[in-house]
Amino acid sequence: MSKGKSHGKVPENNEKTVYKALGLSGGIFGAAPCAVDVKNGKIVRIRPLHYDSKYDSKQFNPWNISKNGKSLKPMMKALPSPFSLAYKKRVYSPNRIKYPLKRVDWDPNGNRNTQNRGKSKFVRISWDEATDIIAGEINRIHKEYGPLAILIQGDGHGECMFVHATHGCSTLLLDKMGGFTQQVRNPDSWEGWYWGAKHVWGPGLIGMMNPAKNIVKDISENSEMILVWGGDPETTPWGFRGQFASNIVRFWSEIGIKQVYICPDLNYAAAIHADKWIAILPNTDAALQLAVIYMWIKEGTYDKAYVETHTVGFEKVRAYVMGEEDGEPKTPEWASERCGVPEWTIKALARDWAKKITTIGHYFGGGMIRGPLSHEPARLEVILLGMQGLGKPGVHQAQIAYQGMPRSIIARAGGHMGMFQNLANTPSGDRLLKPHKTTPTAWGKQLIPKTLIEKAINNPPVHFWGTGGHEVPTEDQFKKYTYPIPEEEGGTEIRMLWTDTPCRITCWNCGNEISETMKSPKVEFILAQHPWMENDCLHADIVLPVNTTLEVEDISPCIRDGDSFQSIVHMKEAISPIGESKSNYEAVCEIAKKLDKYEEVTEGKTSSELVRDVFEGMGFDDLISWEEFEEKGYYVFPVAEDWEKDTPGLYNFYKDPEANPLPTPTGKLEFYSDSLARHFPDDGERPPIPKWIERSETHDERMSSKRASTYPLLLMSNHSRWRVHAQCDDISWTREIHTCKVKGFDGYMYEACWIHPQDAVKRGIEDGDIVRVFNERGGVLCGARVMERIMPGVISVDHGARADTIIPGELDRGGAINTITPAGLTSKHCAGEATSGFLADVEKVTPEQMGKWMSNYPDAFEREYDPASGLRFDAWIVGEK
Amino acid sequence: MSKKVFIIDIDRCNGCHACQVACKDEHVGNDWTPIAKSQPDTGQLWLKLTQEVRGSVPKVKVAYRPHLCMHCDMAPCMDACPVEGAIYKREDGLVIIDPETCSGCRSCVDACPYQTIFFNEELNIAQKCTGCAHLLDEGWKEPRCVDACPTAAIQWMDETEAKELISKSEVWKPEMKDEIRPRVYYMNLPGRFIAGTVYDPIEKEVIIGADCTLTEKSIGKVFRVKTDNYGDFWFEGLAEDEFDLQIEKDGRVESFTGLDTVEKDVNLGDIALSFRE
Repeated sequence: MSKGKSHGKVPENNEKTVYKALGLSGGIFGAAPCAVDVKNGKIVRIRPLHYDSKYDSKQFNPWNISKNGKSLKPMMKALPSPFSLAYKKRVYSPNRIKYPLKRVDWDPNGNRNTQNRGKSKFVRISWDEATDIIAGEINRIHKEYGPLAILIQGDGHGECMFVHATHGCSTLLLDKMGGFTQQVRNPDSWEGWYWGAKHVWGPGLIGMMNPAKNIVKDISENSEMILVWGGDPETTPWGFRGQFASNIVRFWSEIGIKQVYICPDLNYAAAIHADKWIAILPNTDAALQLAVIYMWIKEGTYDKAYVETHTVGFEKVRAYVMGEEDGEPKTPEWASERCGVPEWTIKALARDWAKKITTIGHYFGGGMIRGPLSHEPARLEVILLGMQGLGKPGVHQAQIAYQGMPRSIIARAGGHMGMFQNLANTPSGDRLLKPHKTTPTAWGKQLIPKTLIEKAINNPPVHFWGTGGHEVPTEDQFKKYTYPIPEEEGGTEIRMLWTDTPCRITCWNCGNEISETMKSPKVEFILAQHPWMENDCLHADIVLPVNTTLEVEDISPCIRDGDSFQSIVHMKEAISPIGESKSNYEAVCEIAKKLDKYEEVTEGKTSSELVRDVFEGMGFDDLISWEEFEEKGYYVFPVAEDWEKDTPGLYNFYKDPEANPLPTPTGKLEFYSDSLARHFPDDGERPPIPKWIERSETHDERMSSKRASTYPLLLMSNHSRWRVHAQCDDISWTREIHTCKVKGFDGYMYEACWIHPQDAVKRGIEDGDIVRVFNERGGVLCGARVMERIMPGVISVDHGARADTIIPGELDRGGAINTITPAGLTSKHCAGEATSGFLADVEKVTPEQMGKWMSNYPDAFEREYDPASGLRFDAWIVGEK
Repeated sequence: MSKKVFIIDIDRCNGCHACQVACKDEHVGNDWTPIAKSQPDTGQLWLKLTQEVRGSVPKVKVAYRPHLCMHCDMAPCMDACPVEGAIYKREDGLVIIDPETCSGCRSCVDACPYQTIFFNEELNIAQKCTGCAHLLDEGWKEPRCVDACPTAAIQWMDETEAKELISKSEVWKPEMKDEIRPRVYYMNLPGRFIAGTVYDPIEKEVIIGADCTLTEKSIGKVFRVKTDNYGDFWFEGLAEDEFDLQIEKDGRVESFTGLDTVEKDVNLGDIALSFRE
């Protein structure tokens, strides 16, 4: 148990308001600050934090962007998503893990029955017993195999917590015991840019355009058109920042910036903001992009002078596009066959784009950047921008609201961890930042990309090029890594998985392969810690109950771009922990006690002391005293006086590329990458110039594939509107929403599958039917939403729905579409995931078919289930509950 | 207390459902007697956001509309209620069903022309939007839905200050306006659209600058647009009626008669206008 209690005097009338950052990105970048009203130990409501509730807004130095008589201004309140506002439903969820659990047929001293993981249920055990077992296993594994036999899956998405980090607290312990194997999270929202665009314009920010300062103002003042390509600024920002992006996009319409949305679905932003929707088949963007380049070359409508002075390798691109290399000119006609966009529309886009000052907008890539070989459209995107003067006023790649908002006074060095440099240099810095390093950096002694864990367990050794760490240099992608590392260095295979807030089965590559691999007897022990009994937890041997952010004191710097203002929130404890739950950090401390490492892990500090260390270590006490901050509960960082003068985006490079070279080998935009040519001379999947690749050794997911005769539809999977990855799937108030869940004939609330009426009619499917989405990798039951928001030939299921297995490794009822996504990486040298844009089909599920499954797999249908919130915790428990 | 109105600007609504969810957050599991008792977890949406998918690929839009109690000045529910004072109107205009004196007869549920009153089986009372009167009485500036809205699509305003906005607004079921006088106003309700793309099937090019002339038959009103850089034309904000359309460029003409927007929006798809004989 961590020393010390939560801060705050208990108010006399038993009522209090605390502030919580209810974004769900899982890191130290908080977002969506809310006020939580509590009475008699119960959460009454969650509402947006009003920035001006305790401060005079004048001191914020509010910013203003104006054009054509219209203004974009900050709002005086945070703009949380509905699932943040509904967060009490997560706190009080019937799915909460109330006490430690042990799998009924897993005996660390006898038979482990790993083949039953995901099937067998759990019994309640005490914290004492749980930590004894865990300590025993850690000691045994260290002795038998070495410390690197433990894989820490310490990254991902979850609540925004600092001291009680949602991920990676396990590193605080194992780092003091000889190390561990680190799961390096592939850049799942940025794959194509990371593995591709980096080779054109340099490392960027996880491959995205960088610097991207002040581009919201610059776009407002100078852009004439924005192509929102694949991303959805009315959806993805929700979990990471809140809804301010909505106001930016609407403002851009008001001031006359034309908005063209290029995506297979009428996503939520396109639905209300699009002046034009160009419907394009999933993962075929490269064809459209090449045809646009073709038109510009043919009609001479690109910035030739800029290409001369700012880029290298254009001639090779030209030769390829015009058909000199392979005899196939990449004409609009050629492209139309492959991407589904009419030839005349392609020509019109190319011409309109050449005429208008154009920015390409995203909020991460949605389906565009997460498909097979996604580095190809990503590189082509940079080439297209380069051919129209990237960096010139109004020409940017914009992650809308994620970058380029008016700067606050504390904005410092860029990069994921740059903002925390001061803190890193304090005595508590290592303790505070270590858990958070598992996402951006690859620092463990032995490494394995998250996408390659199955291969590591089933078929070692594994070779990979580049770890995929967010903040490693581009050159890392040329470095060959091997798992395991040499025995002399302590290298050993993974024998234990330690995971926190996991969701690989429903969010990563080929969940069916993941769940099957977890049954491997090689993996002797799986330990999970999480607040809710869902997804990967069902495959663990011991599960520790974690509390939510509402149940523990912490601090959250909301200091990245994306909301009206940046702030720091003192997140006092709102209510007492539910059941026997503890924070992720407290759970690790309990284990540390049994290993005699408690003092080392805590370094003698209480959690409350660490909260204050964050505040002081980041230099916030220069702006407001700790006493005042503690009393007020939050502080808003004023906007910098001179933010308007910040050079927008790559303007300096545009103005003078010699004086302001890009961080590439030549200092220019590398349309042709000599590094790729030298390091991977025979790589047909990621050649030195980007290309259209019909099929490759890793992927065969196009309509031209032989497989398309059996699986004739392309499946697209986006970031969900109503969840953040796997989070918030059990909130009854969002599940009631039309595009979230579909009530089947059996009363079960199925994950929505969007189907076009043409495709539905062919298959006898009507809106509201239960359907099975399938390919060779398995099947997933969904509810049909038949509507015109998805183009013909495409079906769409968002990732992250909670798995509810009917047939292990074969059929899921919960809508966990990632169980059937390709297992293959982005490409053979790129350990990213390819989880959108793959072949599948869909068929209606009849009551007869459902009846057959019910009689053959009765256990699956007898699990305790409530349509409002879905699967229940009790469904997985035997014995005393 | 000054009289208030809800002003809802459909143009600003992004369909996020924060309003719908904030209403649940306030009223599920919370007892605000004497203004309201707790509402059931699901099935009752005192503020409900509906959505309409309009058109067909790729000319599609989504229209959202929040539905809530209209807090009518001459509320049919008040007329229908047999219990003296069980449904009453406050000075600020909000209509409240008293959870303590409601007899559970359901007359109001049936009487409401907007179907925004719900029956709570467990508590045996009728329930609906209260405008968060219990919060307003404690000094809140606005109800939960307005507080939660990220785009100021839904506003809670003094009726006098809202005069100009009201003049640009419609009420739901306008034919009943004078009879019941609702206090919820909708701005920028989308009408119907007729749209299409004009192209040359031989050259495989869009046709830019074609003259599109739309005539609303019943009143003879004429609308004109030119096709844009994508060959697209959109006629928006149309009434539910019958229309004739003529498209012309360089002497070639394509006509459509009897386009019907009564049931739905019309996407004419790709319209060929060839220039070769």
